Amino acid sequence: MASSLRRLISWEGLLLLILLVVVALNAAFTPVYLGVNNQVNLFQLSIEKIIVALVMAFIIINGEIDLSVASVMGLAACVLAYLFNQGVAMPLAVLGALGAGALCGAFNGFWVAYVGVPSLAVTLAGLIGYRGAARILLEDTSISGFPEWFNTLGQQPWLGPLPFALVLFFTLYIVALVVLNFSGIGRLVYVVGNNREVARYSGVRVPRLKLGLFIASGLVAALAGVLLAARLGAVRGNTADGFELDIITMVLLGGVSIFGGTGNLFGVGLAILIILNLRNGMSLVNITGNTQTGVVGVLLILSVLLPNLVQDVRAVLQRRRAQRKEVTRA
Amino acid sequence: MTASTLPPPTLEMRAISKRFGSTQALDGVGLTLYPGEIHALLGENGAGKSTLIKIMTGVHQPDTGAILLDGSPVKIGSTIAAQGHGIAAIYQEPMMYPDLNVAENIFITHAGRGPFVRWRQMQREAEAILKQLDVQLDVRQPARGLTVATQQTVEIARALSLKVRVLIMDEPTAALSAHEVAQLFTLARRLREQGVAILFISHRMEEVFSIADRVTIFRDGRLISSAPRADVTPESAIRAMAGRTVEQLFPRSKTVTDELLVSVRGLGKAGAFEGVSFELHKGEVLGFAGLVGARRTDVGLALFGIEPADSGELLIDGVAHRVRDPNQAMSLGIAYVSEDRRALGLSLPMSITANITLPTLRRYLSALGLIRGRAEAVDAEQFRKRLAIRASSVEVEVSKLSGGNQQKVMLSKWLNTRPRLLILDEPTRGIDVGAKAEVHQMIDDLAAQGLAIIMISSDLPEVLAMSDRVLVMREGRQMGIFSRGEATQERVLGAAMGQEALA
Amino acid sequence: MSWIKRSIRPEQLRELSLVALIIVALLIFGTQIENFLSARTFNRIASSVAIVGVVAVGQTLVVLTRNIDLSVGSIVGFSAYFVGMQLNGNPELPPLVAVLLACGVGALLGLVNGVLVAYGRVPSIITTLGTLAIFRMILVNYSDAKTVTTDMVPPWVPGLAQETLVSFGEFNVRPMVAVAIAVVLVFQLVLVYTQFGRRLYAIGSNPEAARFVGLPGRRIVLLAFVICGALAGLAGFMFLSRFGNITVVAGQGLELQSVAAVVVGGVNTFGGSGSVVGALLGAFLIDLLGQGLIRWLGISEFWRDAILGLLILLAVASDAVILNWLRRLWAPNELKTRTPSEAAPTPKESSHGV
Repeated sequence: MASSLRRLISWEGLLLLILLVVVALNAAFTPVYLGVNNQVNLFQLSIEKIIVALVMAFIIINGEIDLSVASVMGLAACVLAYLFNQGVAMPLAVLGALGAGALCGAFNGFWVAYVGVPSLAVTLAGLIGYRGAARILLEDTSISGFPEWFNTLGQQPWLGPLPFALVLFFTLYIVALVVLNFSGIGRLVYVVGNNREVARYSGVRVPRLKLGLFIASGLVAALAGVLLAARLGAVRGNTADGFELDIITMVLLGGVSIFGGTGNLFGVGLAILIILNLRNGMSLVNITGNTQTGVVGVLLILSVLLPNLVQDVRAVLQRRRAQRKEVTRA
Repeated sequence: MTASTLPPPTLEMRAISKRFGSTQALDGVGLTLYPGEIHALLGENGAGKSTLIKIMTGVHQPDTGAILLDGSPVKIGSTIAAQGHGIAAIYQEPMMYPDLNVAENIFITHAGRGPFVRWRQMQREAEAILKQLDVQLDVRQPARGLTVATQQTVEIARALSLKVRVLIMDEPTAALSAHEVAQLFTLARRLREQGVAILFISHRMEEVFSIADRVTIFRDGRLISSAPRADVTPESAIRAMAGRTVEQLFPRSKTVTDELLVSVRGLGKAGAFEGVSFELHKGEVLGFAGLVGARRTDVGLALFGIEPADSGELLIDGVAHRVRDPNQAMSLGIAYVSEDRRALGLSLPMSITANITLPTLRRYLSALGLIRGRAEAVDAEQFRKRLAIRASSVEVEVSKLSGGNQQKVMLSKWLNTRPRLLILDEPTRGIDVGAKAEVHQMIDDLAAQGLAIIMISSDLPEVLAMSDRVLVMREGRQMGIFSRGEATQERVLGAAMGQEALA
Repeated sequence: MSWIKRSIRPEQLRELSLVALIIVALLIFGTQIENFLSARTFNRIASSVAIVGVVAVGQTLVVLTRNIDLSVGSIVGFSAYFVGMQLNGNPELPPLVAVLLACGVGALLGLVNGVLVAYGRVPSIITTLGTLAIFRMILVNYSDAKTVTTDMVPPWVPGLAQETLVSFGEFNVRPMVAVAIAVVLVFQLVLVYTQFGRRLYAIGSNPEAARFVGLPGRRIVLLAFVICGALAGLAGFMFLSRFGNITVVAGQGLELQSVAAVVVGGVNTFGGSGSVVGALLGAFLIDLLGQGLIRWLGISEFWRDAILGLLILLAVASDAVILNWLRRLWAPNELKTRTPSEAAPTPKESSHGV
């Protein structure tokens, strides 16, 4: 535990530093930056992504990946809009959307856990397929006109200055934190992600765990899709297109290893803050969405590249130290 | 050949020593390979054979000693360097590119063949090499569909194409039929005629004595003897392999009861083992002896449900069971402690506590599914004391522990499942003498408490010291069961190698 | 039967079955849909397959080494735009230079991918997910949100997509299509007849063995990404020729289409087997199925992506199942647990790329 604490400190420390720099820069460029309104707004604009990032952390720590989350978000939003348009009562439409998400997750999970297809391939197919299904439902149209109570879910202050969606995120964050760090499932997620065979040899039902995680991923993505529909007030076939980049970056930048087995939600939380502040700051100085996304892309690559480079440097230093020892011994 | 007519040696290993952590794998051994000679290397598991091969092929560097190629000292710093020196090895599992065809598999490793592939020329050259070996093979077929024997032939062809001078064959015959073994030996003899020095490692006495010109025996990392084949007999070889001065046998307590716990009849798994039968009483330690490839681990995995058996019977307390998965096995009171603690037995980045409670995690969960940390820690502490695990606390990461302490954590993990049948797979592999003694004492205590224990071990003295009875396996078949009184090193090793019982 | 197994390379079996499927699809659609087997359909399919096909050839090289390149769409867009702007500024630019420029720009972007994957050891899925966004960002900033339009480029550019090179009755072969076929042929030869090509297969087939014998794996993977980028650049030029109007979203989605073509075309996602001819056939089959199913079942064209996803899943799942079956066939006596060497720890092998 002590060494993981040390590992924690070095990566999280770096993240904290980056966060402070970003916030300072933003505040320098835009005076109103640190105001409550802006801070709330900062979260709101990406609330759906960060909710999904929480469950993506579980999936990646478990040694898998889910590229289809954004498409599931879009599909769920489209299912919601479609059902609503067909005259279904809103609460039922929401349930329908959630069900669709869970189904997608179960589909993904089946192929990964029970057939043994790599999650990269399955969820890549899902990325395309679920987006396609969303387009089948909505085609070229856009659906809006949702009931008032629904549209205010994401936007209006609900608890003090905080809208419902934000409260939901903080609640989910705490739940995720507790589950990952203190529950049996959380520990199994780590063990399986670190070494699947050890878990199997210890009687862990690995396929069941993976299936469950993918269903959770689908469900949470669907929830995020519903919230997105509520915030935007309208749904199109390409809703949530491309969100997976931000989501995966938040997790990997947060120190979760792409190979599984390590990482924690503290880092992911910091990474989320970094990306949110970065995007917000860039928007405030009129940097376009595409550039913002490009910057996130750079962060994604750096979050894997830098640890590799550090490892290489350390290996070289170790080898030199060993060589020096040999010389003194001889 | 007398000493004066021997040609200069191709490869000479002098005074090679190699240490891994607390284990001295090789201690000042020497080996000389002459051209045009098949040199057999005999020794039990752990005698140091594969370490020597790894040094010869550049995987490891020796701590001390010298390697001479054609009389001049060389350093084999990498596998590529070994290849450059003309040293090649073939193993039980051939190294093939399954999607490429035979001809390509032979030549793909060649540098400097130019940027373009001339298929017809490559095919002709491949056929020519195979002709040297007097083998008929369609070089255009992909490697994926070939039998193991054919793939080994391709590997030999590949070695030949690289102008091999020293060919190491490490247990090449385990997966071959008798006919294929004969074919392999014909190939070996043909290589010998061409002046290649061949190092042949096998546990099959009849093979060794049919093909070898010279026999060298290792034991516990030391060179015991090296002589022309004519001067060696199977019996003398076995005695040399096993003949250590037996120190004090571990003083086992009388723990065997007459309550029958486990009865196994004709247990088998296609492609792994067959016909395993034994009875086990409470308080009894049944040793599983055998050499590499005996498939003892497979029996353990079958009993524990990881790789279930497909034939035979298992009775526990007189009731028949088909063990299909580890959870079922655990509910029946069976526990299996893996031989590979780093890759299969322990979750290295996790704490001692987390590892100990992993199979029994459900016991430590509250109603909400949260882990009851204190309950875990208490149990972990108990095991720490009971097994004398040396660590500053039970929260230490197991990757930081020594081999012996890691082994104890693994043992604790499975003892925590409250087993009635405990299967130990190489429980003292790679741990220091002190920890080894502690583990032996633990096993004795557990037997005294009424556990039935199966101890799979390649350490012959350990098997003899600890077992109430010894079951010997050879290549997936049961060769016999010896009582504690009957079992001697020579008898057990002889059975493991398929020889008749020795005096 | 065994002579078939011996004289035909494994990928050729897949190619043959794709051709069979294409023929079956043509037959079904031809008889069920009016005017399906017409020149118009052929031209429509040929034009879009030409672009996807060229990209798919590059993707094939990358996937053979157990990697993936999701940034090709952005590379196509950027090179299309870049060359368009250059031609607008220098209308006298000779065609060959323009094409080389496109390839060069693509190769440069591919180099970035290659360095990160081969030498930075960043898994290709992460690298190209990132460069997908980064290259798009570069395009947006370079273009300043302006569009390239057809009238901005010399007339020979759109001519490549419209003129006819050769006619078989009503079926016109456009230069663009000829280029695509030429690219496929060239790289088929490269993959079969050069050391570089064969080493691509070796690295994908057994990366540990390749490393063990000292094959220059990193350099080869780097080259694969550079070539993939160059081909994407070429496809970008073809894109410019065909569409004329290049906006900042040009090329989006091509990466998924190329992966689909490659996977359906039999390039194993576990690396080591497959061919560019297969990828082209895969692209053709996908487009054919798309066009045909839409006309036949009367479903909206929005079904295309859903079908694509399903096809990919089926192709990959069957690969996984078949691979397991083949593995069991190949090594029936395989020892399940390898005994660890005397107390020496075994290194953990990663299955990502290099």
